[in-house]
Amino acid sequence: MSIVIENVSKSFGSFQALKDINLEIQTGELVALLGPSGSGKTSLLRIIAGLESANQGFIYFDKENITTITAKERKVGFVFQHYALFRHMTVFENIAYGLKVRPRNERPKKKDIEAKVYELLELVKLKDLAKRYPSQLSGGQRQRVALARALAVEPKVLLLDEPFGALDAKVRKELRRWLRRLHDEFHISSIFVTHDQEEALDVADKIVVMNQGKIEQIGTPNEVYENPQTPFVYDFLGNVNLFKGRLNNGKLLHGNTVTNVPDGDPSETREAIGYARPHDINISRVKSDEEEVKVSIAHLHIVGPSVQIELIREDTKEYLEAELPKEHYTKLNLKVGEKVFVKPKQLKVFIPEDYMI
Amino acid sequence: MRKAIFKKNQVLPGFGLTMGYTTLYLSILVLLPLSMILLYTAQMGWEDFWDTVLDPRVVASYKLSFGASLAAGLINAIFGVLLAWVLVRYSFPGKKIIDGLVDLPFALPTAVAGIALTTVYAPNGWIGRLLDFKVAFTPIGVVIALTFIGLPFVVRMVQPVLQNLEKEVEEASSSLGASRFQTFRKIIFPELLPAALSGFTLAFARSLGEYGSVVFIAGNMPMKTEITPLLIMTKLEQYDYTGATAIATVMLVTSFILLFLINLIQWWTNRKFIH
Repeated sequence: MSIVIENVSKSFGSFQALKDINLEIQTGELVALLGPSGSGKTSLLRIIAGLESANQGFIYFDKENITTITAKERKVGFVFQHYALFRHMTVFENIAYGLKVRPRNERPKKKDIEAKVYELLELVKLKDLAKRYPSQLSGGQRQRVALARALAVEPKVLLLDEPFGALDAKVRKELRRWLRRLHDEFHISSIFVTHDQEEALDVADKIVVMNQGKIEQIGTPNEVYENPQTPFVYDFLGNVNLFKGRLNNGKLLHGNTVTNVPDGDPSETREAIGYARPHDINISRVKSDEEEVKVSIAHLHIVGPSVQIELIREDTKEYLEAELPKEHYTKLNLKVGEKVFVKPKQLKVFIPEDYMI
Repeated sequence: MRKAIFKKNQVLPGFGLTMGYTTLYLSILVLLPLSMILLYTAQMGWEDFWDTVLDPRVVASYKLSFGASLAAGLINAIFGVLLAWVLVRYSFPGKKIIDGLVDLPFALPTAVAGIALTTVYAPNGWIGRLLDFKVAFTPIGVVIALTFIGLPFVVRMVQPVLQNLEKEVEEASSSLGASRFQTFRKIIFPELLPAALSGFTLAFARSLGEYGSVVFIAGNMPMKTEITPLLIMTKLEQYDYTGATAIATVMLVTSFILLFLINLIQWWTNRKFIH
C-alpha cells in the first residue's frame, strides 16, 4: 500500500513537533525515518498509525484519505520500542489477540487462529516458547513476539518505533537483518524510526532524514551518505571535518590555505563552511600542492581494517579527523607528533544561514 | 540443617535479625492476644460453648455480619474501581479535593460516621425521606455504613496500578483492532483485578469487625439488625466474658477461613505476574 503524507503539522502546546511535512512512500518500500531525538520522527510515525492526530494536513493510504480514521480502523501493524506486550497473556495469546478481538462474523475459527499463530511463531523462531509469559523472555525474544503480534492481523503497513533501540548491539544487528528479510518476504510497506544512522543505512530502501520537525533530505542510503544536501545531513550521517572560512570567486580561504571549490561560486565574498568526510582526506609527507594544510598528528586509533587519525591544524589549531586503509597507513609510517600535509579530496561547501554547528 | 531450610544463599544480610523481629512483633501484637481468646473460651465446657454460639439470636447476627460485609465489600470493589478510574484518567476542577475526600472515612471516628449516616438515611432524613422503603434500622442501613467505612481500600489499592499502566499497551491493543470496551475488558481489567481483590479483602475484613458506625444506623433489633460485634459487646456489659470470647472465637475462625480462601483466589489471579 502506498502512503502519502500531505502538509502535516503537529504541535504539542507551544512546541511545534512537525512543520509542514510532505512525504510519499511507495508500496513495498522499507523506509527509515532518521533523526536525533526531538526531531519529530516518532510523532510522524504515530500520526501515520492514528495514535496521534495531526493539527493540519492529510494522510492517504492508497489514495484514500484516512486522516480522521481511528487507529482501530487503519489496520496498520505497530511495533513499540518497549514492546508493549500484554504481560498477563502468554506468547500465544499475545499473538492471537488481534484475531480474537475481531467482530464475530469476521473472526477466524479457533483452529484457523491457532494455525496462524503457529505459523507466525515458526517465522519468529519462538515455537517452543508459546506458553511462556513475556516476563520470561529476553529483550530480543519479546521484540520478535511484538512483531509477530503486529503481523498476525495481516496489516498492509508495518510501522516500527525504534524497534531495536532497547537491545544490545549484537542482537540489534541480527534482528535488523531479519527484519529486512521479513519485509522482502511479506512485501508490505514498512516505516521504521531510528536515531541510529548505521541501522538506517544498513536496512532501508529509502531514508528520510529529519531535524527539528522538518525533513532535511529524502533519498536512498547511498544518496544521503554520498551527496548530503544540507549541513545537518552531512553532520548526522557519519563523521565530518569542517573547514570554516570565506568564499570568494570559487575559492575557499580557511586558515592560511586556499582551496578551489568548483561547484559553488557566488561572486561576492561570504562566510562559508566546507565539509569533508574523514576518508576523503589525503595525507602526504611532503608538501606538493598549494591547497595542502600543515597539521600535526595528535592521536592514532589502530583498530580494525582502517586507521583513524586525529590531527591538529598548525594555523588555526582546529581538530581534523582522517581515515586511512591500514596498508596505506603502514606505507606512510606515521607517528604521533609528526608534521604532515593534508588535503580534502572533495569539499562540499555550504553557506551558513541560520544554521550553526 | 535447620539453617539450610531458611537460607538459600541470601545476598542481603540481616535475615536472622528481621525474621526474629517479625516473629516477636507478630507474637506480641497478634498471636498472643488472639490465643487469649481461645484460652478464655476453653474455660467453658463444650455444651456451654455450643449453647452460646448456636443461640438463634447469635446465628442471626452471624448471617447479618458476614452477609452485609460481603455485600459492602462487593459494592466497594465495583465503585472503588470506578472512582479510581475517574481520579486517574480524567482531570477536572476539584479533583484534588475529591481525592482527599476518599480518605475521610478512615479519619472520621466511626461513631460520628454512624450518627451522620443515620441522620441522612432515617425515615425523616434528607435521603431517607425520598425513598419509599426504609434504609436506616434495616440490613440495608448496615450495608451502607459498612460501604462507607470500607470505601478507601479499593480506591487506594487500584489507583497506583492504574497510574502505572503503560499507555502503549492500550495503544497496541487498539492498533490491533480492539474496541475501547475490548481493551478495557481484556487488557486493563486483568491488570486491575489483583489490586481490586486486595482492596475487597481489606474492606471485607474491616467491615466484619466494624462496630461504632453500624450500631447507630442498624437499630439493633434482635434477630433482625443485630451484628455480631454488638452481641459481643452486650455480653461484655453483662460480665459474661466467656460468652463474649466464645462468639469471638467463632468470628475469628470463620474470618480466618474466609480470608484464607480469598488469598487463594488472589494467588491464583496473581500467578501470571510473578515469575
